[in-house]
Amino acid sequence: MKRTLTRLGPAFFGLAVLGAHAGAQDLTDVDEIIARANAAAYYAGEDGRAHVRMTITDASERSRVREFTILRRDVDEGGDQDYAVLFSRPADLRNTLFLVNKHVEGDDDRWLYLPSLDLVRRISAGDKRTSFVGSHFLYEDVSGRRIAEDRHELLETTATHYVVKNTPLDSDGQEFEWWTVRIDKKTFVPTTMEYVDDTGEVYRRIEALEVQNVDGIPTVTTMRASDLRSGGNTVSEFTDIEYGLGIPADVFTERTMRNPPRRWFPGR
Amino acid sequence: MRFGWLMEAPPGTPDGARAVREAANRLPTLSGTLVSEDGRATAIYVPIERKRDSRRIAGEIEEFVETFEGTEQYHVTGLPVAEDTFGVEMFRQMAITAPLAGLIVFLLMWFFFRSLALVAAPMILAGVTVVATMGLMVGLGFSVHIMSSMIPIFLMPIAVVDSVHILSEFADAYPRIGDRRETIRKVVDDLYTPMLYTTLTSAAGFASLALAPIPPVRVFGIFVAIGIATAFVLTITFIPAYIVTLSETSIENLRTRNVSAKNTGLLARMLGRVGSWTLVSSKSIVVVTVVVAAVSAVGISRIQINDNPVRWFRPSHKIRVADRVLNEHFAGTYNAFLVLQAGDASRDREALTTAVGAYIEAAADQGPDLTGAWAETIANAAAVSDIESVDALVDQVFRRLDEADDDAADLWEGVLVLLEDAQSALKVFQTPEALGYLEDLQGALAASGLVGKSNGLTDIVKTVHRELREGDPEYLTIPATSAGVAQTLLSYQSSHRPDDLWHFVTPDFRAANIWLQLKSGDNQDMVLVTEAVDAYVADHPPPEGVAVQWAGLTYLNVVWQQDMVSGMLNALLGGFVIVFLMMLVLFRSLRFDALAMLPLSVTIGFIYGMIGLAGKDYDMPVAVLSALTLGLSVDFAIHFLQRARTIQAETRDWPATVDRLFAEPARAITRNAIVIAVGFLPLLGSSLVPYQTVGLFLAAIMAASAVVTLVLLPSVMNLMRTEVTKEIGDR
Repeated sequence: MKRTLTRLGPAFFGLAVLGAHAGAQDLTDVDEIIARANAAAYYAGEDGRAHVRMTITDASERSRVREFTILRRDVDEGGDQDYAVLFSRPADLRNTLFLVNKHVEGDDDRWLYLPSLDLVRRISAGDKRTSFVGSHFLYEDVSGRRIAEDRHELLETTATHYVVKNTPLDSDGQEFEWWTVRIDKKTFVPTTMEYVDDTGEVYRRIEALEVQNVDGIPTVTTMRASDLRSGGNTVSEFTDIEYGLGIPADVFTERTMRNPPRRWFPGR
Repeated sequence: MRFGWLMEAPPGTPDGARAVREAANRLPTLSGTLVSEDGRATAIYVPIERKRDSRRIAGEIEEFVETFEGTEQYHVTGLPVAEDTFGVEMFRQMAITAPLAGLIVFLLMWFFFRSLALVAAPMILAGVTVVATMGLMVGLGFSVHIMSSMIPIFLMPIAVVDSVHILSEFADAYPRIGDRRETIRKVVDDLYTPMLYTTLTSAAGFASLALAPIPPVRVFGIFVAIGIATAFVLTITFIPAYIVTLSETSIENLRTRNVSAKNTGLLARMLGRVGSWTLVSSKSIVVVTVVVAAVSAVGISRIQINDNPVRWFRPSHKIRVADRVLNEHFAGTYNAFLVLQAGDASRDREALTTAVGAYIEAAADQGPDLTGAWAETIANAAAVSDIESVDALVDQVFRRLDEADDDAADLWEGVLVLLEDAQSALKVFQTPEALGYLEDLQGALAASGLVGKSNGLTDIVKTVHRELREGDPEYLTIPATSAGVAQTLLSYQSSHRPDDLWHFVTPDFRAANIWLQLKSGDNQDMVLVTEAVDAYVADHPPPEGVAVQWAGLTYLNVVWQQDMVSGMLNALLGGFVIVFLMMLVLFRSLRFDALAMLPLSVTIGFIYGMIGLAGKDYDMPVAVLSALTLGLSVDFAIHFLQRARTIQAETRDWPATVDRLFAEPARAITRNAIVIAVGFLPLLGSSLVPYQTVGLFLAAIMAASAVVTLVLLPSVMNLMRTEVTKEIGDR
């Protein structure tokens, strides 16, 4: 397995493909499938930006909307990455900023800026399977799960998808027993992820509902995370997707959190 | 800032355990709730979807706990468990105490009537009545509720009473007449009218519960009434038929042994003396009755209306023990919820669109005119089935902003500010003002000493705010702005359990919930809490448009009790009127009607007076028993008066009438009273308090109404001798 391609997940800001698989032959090496899917999901282009509208719906059909701009910059291709999430709606969360400096080796650095309290807080490493801002997505979904944390098996190769089962090497630290991912054979975009609990039930599902071609890069533009136990779900719609903007590194530093450069965060 | 489980895995060392305890105690929502303040107990709260599952779940937990080693003790309690367990144990108890009561009733009847074959008849009758009634109820699809589980224990004594009248008269008349058919014909002839009327009055007493506003009480009343009617039909058909088919030898005893007892036995001699005593001491008896009635009135005025399903178990029952132990350690095992609900937002939204319209119109003089575009925006927003119309408006305005030129964009920005301010203001329980009100209300509740603890949105906001400020206790406060609160809650929701927030507030922030933990589930204590809140709210009006409501089982029980008590009181009064009217038809005499109502009024007054004086709470079982009291205590009076009239018509001499009244009729009444009162004494040993209450009540009803009927009634009639005899003579 290539050490540089380290994460696999639901392609939250997922973006692309490193060139479609050339041959007509199906891949049989699960590590290669995983590595390509990881690249497709998390490393499209050198950087990227999207506007995200997140609709969180609970089991009683009560919905609320959160909107933000997400920026991503690859520090090394297939290696370290930076993410910045700046909220625009609702108004009372405006300018709240969430920052991740993702590291291949060691723990990620995560920061949160709360403008109304004028607080920059570092979020300590540790459990990443916590909710992303109250939605049904988890922090780990946003920045990806380390490939090396799971053992991978190719369960099935269908006409259109590879189905890979991922079993954690360390049973502590997550609430699932294993998870499966369906990976599009052509684009290597992960399209469905299902998490299975200790009774063998699928309790959580993440789906790519819509994939569009943006600048030649197959990009997930609508995705849904569902809590199958409670019946709630969160739908994220990605618009204004752009790749290769040349976003500078200092946008992703703790120092600029109180005053994020407007240039990279259009709109309000 | 660190997100972690309070206890991801059980700690392996005492230090690890202490760390969990300290972490929990730092959190206001957990301290005293999850971990006891003395550090010696921890609690698990089990949310259940349906109350009827609670006993099963509690049982499974207990079974699981059984497998634990160690010296720790485990307790399970809570109102749902208590109520559900009660319903189930009621049936289990039925299987023990009901047959036991049946056995004693049987033995007593055997003692009185000396024929096993004969006394088997009422037992069969009672059994058939109970099975038929419950079968009908379940067959018609009614579920077995706490109330309906009490039907058998009510039906048994009522079913037996009429049979005992027949058997008693039969046993007394048979030796004299000597022929079974002849005897039973005469007995049924004599008893048909009083039995019909006692049946109708008892059934009416219970059927009047159908007027109660509570479905289970209605079902209870109607099916007891059906059972009473069934018992009557069986009494006048099955019992005579049964007696006639008996062999001569099986009732031989009646003729031989009982004949000597007939007029010389202890019972006969005592009753004879009572009869003559009423003739000589009429006045003193009436005076004593008046005194007793006066004392009863004082007692009734002292009745405490109170209930608590946990107290339906005897003190040594594990649920009572758990209740006691857990409430010593924790803030309280009884939950009540105070819901603060903001008013309808549609008016605010209308005002908002008008305000924005005015803003756009005012701006139209200097810059671009967006009046038309605004109207279109409102229409577009209304067309989108979005979350809230303000959200939809904001959406639409954002779209306008994207397309607008610079001048228009400035104006749309202004519109957006107005809309977003309104959007924030609509989230009432995100505003520091509303949260401050919640905080003050919770503070007042804590200061009242009536509440073990309260948990609310404020506790979450304040705790997270403190943690965001590096745990500085100075910051255990509500942030100064709505946005500050929103960002605090955003941090909270970035946890493992973001939806925990919705236990305390709705996602639109327009309704908030305060969870009160009470140490007592007594309705009286809950009423004190509601009164304290009412007083506070009256003195400190909540933010405009916010209404305060109660929810939760502890509060529900108060409402149920109020409906129940008024329902039972109405049923009792209604039953009283119905009985009065029925007896007017029976006796066709206002005077006899009044006489018949006398023993029952004195008996009911006496019994409830004693409850008041003894300080026993007027609870659900006592309330339900009022219907039984009415039905049973009128029984003896009807029999007595009906016989008095028949005999007086023959003798036309009051002392002679009294003499005959205190033979067979008085013996039937006394035997009945003894059989029922003593027969149901085993109920006193039950682990369920309502059973004990029923046992005590039956004894008291029987004793009081027998004494009042046999002592007061003849005394009053003696005093009114002229009028009474004249009236009877006139017919």
